Amino acid sequence: MTATSPTPRKKYDLNFARWVYENVDGGDRMAKCMQCGTCSGSCPIGDQMDYGPRKLFMMIRAGMKEAVLTSNTIWNCVSCYNCVVRCPRQVPVTYILHDLAALAVKEGYAEAKTADNARFAKAFWWSAQKWGRTDERLVTMKYYFSTGIGDGIKKGMANQKIAMAMVKTKRMHLTMPHKVKGTKELQAILAKAHEIEERGNNGQ
Amino acid sequence: MSHQGLSSQTIAVVGGGISGITTALEAAEAGYDVVLLERSPSLGGRVAQLNRYFPKLCHPTCGLEINYQRIKKNRRIKVYTMATVANVAGSRGDFTLTVTLSPRHVKTTCTACGDCAAAAETTVANPFNYGLDQLKAAYLPHEMAFPMRYVVAPQVIGTPEGERIKAACKYDAIDLDEQESSFELKAGAIVWATGWQPYDAGRITPYHYDESPDIVTNVEMERLAAHDGPTKGKILRPSTGEPPKRVALIQCAGSRDYNHLPYCSRICCLASMKHAAYLREQYADVEVDIYYIDIRAHDKLENFYKKLRNDPQVRWIKSKPASIVPGPDGVPLVCGENTLTREIYRTPYDMVVLAVGMQPSTAAGRPAMDVPMDEYGFIVPEGSDGGLMSAGVASGPLDVSMSVQSATAAALKAIQAVSGRARP
Repeated sequence: MTATSPTPRKKYDLNFARWVYENVDGGDRMAKCMQCGTCSGSCPIGDQMDYGPRKLFMMIRAGMKEAVLTSNTIWNCVSCYNCVVRCPRQVPVTYILHDLAALAVKEGYAEAKTADNARFAKAFWWSAQKWGRTDERLVTMKYYFSTGIGDGIKKGMANQKIAMAMVKTKRMHLTMPHKVKGTKELQAILAKAHEIEERGNNGQ
Repeated sequence: MSHQGLSSQTIAVVGGGISGITTALEAAEAGYDVVLLERSPSLGGRVAQLNRYFPKLCHPTCGLEINYQRIKKNRRIKVYTMATVANVAGSRGDFTLTVTLSPRHVKTTCTACGDCAAAAETTVANPFNYGLDQLKAAYLPHEMAFPMRYVVAPQVIGTPEGERIKAACKYDAIDLDEQESSFELKAGAIVWATGWQPYDAGRITPYHYDESPDIVTNVEMERLAAHDGPTKGKILRPSTGEPPKRVALIQCAGSRDYNHLPYCSRICCLASMKHAAYLREQYADVEVDIYYIDIRAHDKLENFYKKLRNDPQVRWIKSKPASIVPGPDGVPLVCGENTLTREIYRTPYDMVVLAVGMQPSTAAGRPAMDVPMDEYGFIVPEGSDGGLMSAGVASGPLDVSMSVQSATAAALKAIQAVSGRARP
């Protein structure tokens, strides 16, 4: 993915669609979409998406960059892959939605304070890159406090009962965080990957 | 007519549906010898299984009857039923076909009186009605069978029931000892008119075709509407036998879909509109919902579409349903997104009809020779040595009238091939 997508100069600007076809993961197959609605109809939380994948793809074609990158559709995908399996045109809907979400973060559309799922994804990533594992307790804590200390405590208290039940059934622990053996090596790998990505972005 | 080094001027036609019949007749009436080979016990193919067909919504019995009369009058056509091609050797002008004949166990002296069927007790699934009902083990393939001769099913051969069936025949037409046989046929050209099969709806897993009797296919709907079908022409909800109040017709069930048939079969949109018309003719209060991606009403039949579009009891929903699930009490629920309103629907129906596409018969078993096929299995022999042709749906998805055109063209090409005028 190159650094930024073209910002439309008029209401319907095809340059954004072309950029998505070429740069977004799975975007090349998106051109095959025939607007049948199988994806949005297959989605287990389709009624909680503002547009759903089918309409979002049409909006991309219409060059509605602003509306696409601020939509909740790209964040609410739960990666169940129902749509990918059923899509008659074999469009990898899930990949496209996730990569659009990454684009939205990169281009500053998805503010951590506004997109709930973006904040959760950040907490998840924080744990994964730090220890090579996700630690349920710390990911949850990080996510709860991402909107401020007061709000974090409120959320924690509201879910106290569930947390205690999880501890009791050993679904959540209170000791040191789980981690992989070579966290140093993992971080070196991730740093290298980041460097390679940056190099690609700078067109080298 | 000069032979120009061709050792045979006979035209072999493989497949006795409307295309094979047409090719055989056109070539024979132009003065050429034709051998027509049909796998099943009767000619007529898929057309015989339709209730009514386009463009004029006639009953196919009429068209088939005319063709059967033409065959009977023409000495140049030799028809073999229950015949399959096991092997093909040679080239244009000098093909040798090895033809295998399955035992019918009924001789030509059969008068189709039906005494054998009365004596039979065992039943077998009725292939003519796509297994929707059962047949006696001694049966006539259907009312419009050609030849008009019974068949004894292999299930009763070698049983006391078989002997009783034989004894019931006043004309001694039953031969329980008949074995499979084969013969060699010389031909100068071969026309493949092997037709199609409905796409297996069970493979479209989100539609749960196998889990609800009320989810049927479009070809089964033709049988439900036909007077000689399992319900004697009354369209009834299979699970209850009651008239349906709400029916969903689902277009592109496994068509235009890379996971199933990637192409459009062209006929299904109008076929489903025909089904809507059947329903509206039979029931004044029935409501029909047609779920579609795009309506592709080809040919000169736009008026048929427009007329139905004006029917307030036929609703058009632009959406490919994501799933069809048997709900409480087994009522099928059609689920998906209405792409015009963005509404997520979950609608119960008494009956759901899946418009499955046409899959070339080569999907079930490859032809007995290496005949050129496209990526979907349709036979496209153009560019070979000129001795092979394909006709009708064997060459691509076509309706009946287009199949007849294709078959007539194949007859001309075959005549050119056996008269030494073909351009390879």
